[in-house]
Amino acid sequence: MTARPSAEAVIVGAEIAAGHDGAADLLLSIRYGNGAISQVALDADTAFSVLLAGEAADLAGLIGRSWSDLAKRLEDLPCTTS
Amino acid sequence: MHDILIENGLVIDGSGGPAYAADVAVKDGRIVAVGQNLGGEALRTIDAGGRVVAPGFIDPHTHFDVQLLWDGAARPALEHGITSIVPGNCSLSLAPLKAGDRQRLVGMFQQIEELPPEAFTVAFDWTWEDFAGYRAALEKSLSINVAPLVGHSVIRLWVMGADAQERAARPDEIAAMQDLLRECLDAGAVGLSTSFVDVDEKARPVPSRFAQWDELDALCAVLGERGRMLQIVPEFYDTDITIARIDQLAELSLKHNIPTTFSPVFDSHLTPNAAPRQLARVAEQFARGARVWPQMQTRPIDISFSLLRPSLFFARLPTWMRTLRLPLTERLAALRDPATADRLVADAGPDGGARLMGELIVRGGDAAPAAMAGRTLGEIAAERGETPARALITLSLEHGLDVAFLAASRGHEMTDRIGPMLADPHVHIGASDGGAHIASFATYGDTGYLFSEFVRKAGALSLEQAVKKITADTAEIWGLKDRGALKVGYAADIVVFDPATIDRGEERAIFDMPGDGMRYVRDSVGVDTVVVNGQVAWAKGAYTDAEAGEICALN
Repeated sequence: MTARPSAEAVIVGAEIAAGHDGAADLLLSIRYGNGAISQVALDADTAFSVLLAGEAADLAGLIGRSWSDLAKRLEDLPCTTS
Repeated sequence: MHDILIENGLVIDGSGGPAYAADVAVKDGRIVAVGQNLGGEALRTIDAGGRVVAPGFIDPHTHFDVQLLWDGAARPALEHGITSIVPGNCSLSLAPLKAGDRQRLVGMFQQIEELPPEAFTVAFDWTWEDFAGYRAALEKSLSINVAPLVGHSVIRLWVMGADAQERAARPDEIAAMQDLLRECLDAGAVGLSTSFVDVDEKARPVPSRFAQWDELDALCAVLGERGRMLQIVPEFYDTDITIARIDQLAELSLKHNIPTTFSPVFDSHLTPNAAPRQLARVAEQFARGARVWPQMQTRPIDISFSLLRPSLFFARLPTWMRTLRLPLTERLAALRDPATADRLVADAGPDGGARLMGELIVRGGDAAPAAMAGRTLGEIAAERGETPARALITLSLEHGLDVAFLAASRGHEMTDRIGPMLADPHVHIGASDGGAHIASFATYGDTGYLFSEFVRKAGALSLEQAVKKITADTAEIWGLKDRGALKVGYAADIVVFDPATIDRGEERAIFDMPGDGMRYVRDSVGVDTVVVNGQVAWAKGAYTDAEAGEICALN
């Protein structure tokens, strides 16, 4: 019996990248249910919110987390400007 | 008698053809002769021996809209050889704008340009509402040529008021936007800019982001009446979405027979497939007959930060992250606490942060002593008898945390990859963002860097190719009439430079914005003379009083 691939999008990489505005961005690699991996860059404010939503102390704490679960948690966070 | 005779130079005429020895004669703002031993009398003769004589460079992505109202040279762009600029990018222009909407737009501009408030309150008088009025205000004292875009966000704001930042437009509102765009094009706008990314000072999406496809399509139909440009900022943080936008631009280009352009396109060792995938899609769309010009900047991207705001620079260091995300008062107390500081230093690694932080550069323009600007944290730490991590903390504390650090070349930095992309005939060299992000980094000197890094050092482009890319190609893409080439009858926009030394200077902080506002700039290197419409605008390291700049005529 073979394990079924996860249908969930999962964070498989997190790196710091240079952002368009000269600030540091968070570059997430996300593996989707079909096996495809895509990358998305988040600005600092969004990235801090993602870390907060995931209760992650640093980038390593995001690896293996469900992307859709984090997105849902993000929606529940109180709105902040920084 | 000629007005100007430039003798003994090596002419690179913008065509991409080989350089040749020739003189260039100018009369009444136009090039009247290009050839060997022209001779004849001239009011001013310039000896260009050992120098290149080329068409003035054209910068297709700037945000000088506001600065132009008190500085018609868009300093320091002009001294780098730039003779024409395109402001009004990313959906934002200063017209058309009703008086009652000014404050709303100021917030958006401040978010992008980082101009001080005084730039909008004391530096100029708002004398216009419509695009023609803004044009007239600019034309009072221009030293550089301007091909202004009109911003989609302001067109929406004019027609829809506050609803522009709330909802999609109704058919009657779209029709009103079409009429307004038509009026702006009649007044000299080179095209329309829109953004799918930008936010205002309260992090709300700018008005253009509320547009639906039918609105953009209708506005492009108006652009199609005159063959004018659509510029967009796609969701560049996601390659798949950006490729979808490329496809949308192609559809608009084909349907309305218009040129389109998007930026930024970055290359990075972390996303090695992103730029190649985008450029491959662009090539496919060009093969279909669409015109979708990706703009790529030449300069690498730096990361800058201070301890005044949390930065992701520390995202791999849990102790630093936790401490720097505290509210300011608590953050200061934690950094002053010896035990916490010891933990932070320990967390930076057994080398005291030498690998992570030693190469950080103290930027200047902040509370740190000016003498420290440009030096590495490693050097400063060694002088202080501290580790780099400790020095970062103590130096910041000594100056109220207002010390800016820079990690250089952290993105778009691989010359061997970027050179061939810049040379690609489908890639439009631009995206300088001149006049934007002024308190974060210098957006000037990208043309000098093109020559120093990609022509001289890497050999990715010939001198002639590089000149063509930033002159004739740009003029053709944007439809600028009689510019971008050293041809008889063309506007006498000319730059004389030393091909062996042209470069960008070191980044430095200056306080020349209204209200003594700070910005980072780079001086030009190796540019001798800049002529705009037949008048010397910059020579021997200084600006002249010439105000020969124009709103660019269009094909």
